[in-house]
Amino acid sequence: MIALAIIVMVLPLAPALAAALTPRARPLGAVAAASGAATLGVAIALAVDASRGRGVHALSGFLYLDSLSGFFVVTIALVVALASFGSGAYLRSEEERGELSPRQVRLYFIFFALFASMMLASFQTGNLGLLWVLIEASTLASCVLVGLEAKAVSLEAAWKYIIISSFGVTMALVGTLFLYYAASSLAGSPTEHLTWSYLFAHAGALSHQSLRLAFLLVLIGYGTKVGLAPMHTWLPDAHSEAPSPASAMLSAALLNTGMYAIIRFQALTGPAIGTRFAAHALLIFGFASVVVGTLFMVLRGNFKRMFAYSSIEQMGIIAIALGFGGTLGLYGALLQILTHAIAKAVLFLTSGDIVLRYRTRLIDEVRGVLSVTPLTGAALLLAALAVAGSPPFGLFLSELTIVRAGLARSSVVLVAALLVMLAVVFIALVGAAAAMALGGAPDRPTAGPAYGERSSRALAATPLLAGLAALLVLGIWIPGRLDTLIMHSIHAIT
Amino acid sequence: MAQPLAVVESLSATSAEGVLLDTSAVVILLCAFACLGSKLFDRYVVYYGIQSIVLSFAAAVVAVHEREAGLWVLAALTFIIKGIGIPYGTRHFLIERFALKRDVALSTGLSSSLIFGAFLTAFAFLVIRPGTVPHALVAQAVVPISTAVILLGGLCMVVRRHTIAQLIGWLIIENGVFLGAIAIVATFPFIVEAGVFLDLVAAVLIMIAFVSGLARQVAEAAAPELRQLSE
Repeated sequence: MIALAIIVMVLPLAPALAAALTPRARPLGAVAAASGAATLGVAIALAVDASRGRGVHALSGFLYLDSLSGFFVVTIALVVALASFGSGAYLRSEEERGELSPRQVRLYFIFFALFASMMLASFQTGNLGLLWVLIEASTLASCVLVGLEAKAVSLEAAWKYIIISSFGVTMALVGTLFLYYAASSLAGSPTEHLTWSYLFAHAGALSHQSLRLAFLLVLIGYGTKVGLAPMHTWLPDAHSEAPSPASAMLSAALLNTGMYAIIRFQALTGPAIGTRFAAHALLIFGFASVVVGTLFMVLRGNFKRMFAYSSIEQMGIIAIALGFGGTLGLYGALLQILTHAIAKAVLFLTSGDIVLRYRTRLIDEVRGVLSVTPLTGAALLLAALAVAGSPPFGLFLSELTIVRAGLARSSVVLVAALLVMLAVVFIALVGAAAAMALGGAPDRPTAGPAYGERSSRALAATPLLAGLAALLVLGIWIPGRLDTLIMHSIHAIT
Repeated sequence: MAQPLAVVESLSATSAEGVLLDTSAVVILLCAFACLGSKLFDRYVVYYGIQSIVLSFAAAVVAVHEREAGLWVLAALTFIIKGIGIPYGTRHFLIERFALKRDVALSTGLSSSLIFGAFLTAFAFLVIRPGTVPHALVAQAVVPISTAVILLGGLCMVVRRHTIAQLIGWLIIENGVFLGAIAIVATFPFIVEAGVFLDLVAAVLIMIAFVSGLARQVAEAAAPELRQLSE
């Protein structure tokens, strides 16, 4: 199992090595797609192992894997696989049009690979200090992707992203230091004072004052990465300016990495200071995010920004679910993390196809996607429905679970407010997607087919079809293995 | 409240190490104020360099006391990278290359930002009560001062809109965190500290690349001109 854990971190680096040999998007895309698919395979094997209750604890906790890690590894590996296929097609198209230089193509694949590898590694360390280092490293790698096009706007977005999230993550480091300080009265070695499994076993003995401060700082710090309001301001810019497959990785994978760190810290607070403190903090930030995300989604401007605000809203829902807590709340949160990751990856990948085809990011300038490119149009509509939480897709099930968790906790007002927000989101998101997908032929000529060759089209279509199929399956039936994995994950943190 | 760490207890303000650590912390705070009170890009970098060199000295003091090899390495790294490397790189690749002289993108005047900085420092001393940090702390002053340095770095980032000033502001925050870290949790695992350092270096390199890209595009990379993305 240790071997699998290491392979899953190293495999995604293949495109970076290949980029040292060639700057051409075609072979690099093929390598990325192959390594993405292989990573997913290994991740599934790892998660199956984890769902059987097996884990890894090696190198004095620096390498650590339990069911929760397994769940996140498989979720993120899925997004990486979808985005790798999308990257192959997108970069090839951009290269053919001369939008990206060979150097930029090379940089893209190098940093895409580093980004994926760092994220997958961050779930597999039990050391909270190393977790910080890896999350910051994945942020840095993703910054390069945001600024890749080197236009004034994308550099501006990248600058905003790097400076705000570096600041936020520094706060998380301070929180980690406070946690370390809170553990200073425990018997273990200094390294154990940062090792999650040791801390979790001794959580009751942590110093309360420092632990409270540590959790708040970590929530603000990693919350900046997750895009919780009011620390979300970098998110819409970065997610809309990055190349679309990178946006998919940011929205569907990176945000969840931050959420993972928050979940780990939340688990530590329970035994020491009770669950109420962390729950209240999460409910406040979560609800603020849902409100901010929903309000900005009503504006109809740039569709990639709209999808980014939808991510803020979704992360808010997940934070609320974590705040509700209990088995039901955690189950809903984890299921929502998985289903949202798939749906959002598909949505951003379709947005990439649309940007390539229409050369605009404005909702009002895109019409008739369904008649111009039927597959992209259908994927856009279905993915928007899925993200909006409509049955029969997976998010319906997870949101239903979260609402039930809220009712079980008798927070009727909060649940009612959440449902109103969800209704507004549904109207805004599905309305915009319908306006883009349906409608007559566009007023102005489109920029020609998004992908020239048949093989590019196949590469672009694969993740859309695979993602939608997975969402549909998760909406109807949760595989027994996945259910066990989620239940074990909940057990690992409560 | 947890038992105070051994290191903290023994480094009382009367011991030689305690006094040295306290003095270094005060100089670090003054450097942060000097940055806040300056308008010249050259100066920002110089003050940051001095601050980092003093910080490496503080790390060495704790290293002597703790007999920790890891801390010695960190002190050396701080001296070489933060004290010399980053200031030189910023000056060479950004300030001289784009002939930047005077920072005009201030949202608040120098004197009012200094006064505000003084308030923040007082605030840090007020909040960090003896109860929240270990008693008989070092160097009574180190923890509140490191909090003040973090706040001052944040203030730098808020009142300055130039990207270089924001970069320096973030680096000052980093120094504040590092100062607090070596004082309270001297035994922090070295491998993690080294990773934090690596991230910092990578972040600064990427930031320098972005700033120079922006500077090339917008003749002057002042953030007020970064208005295209707003909603």
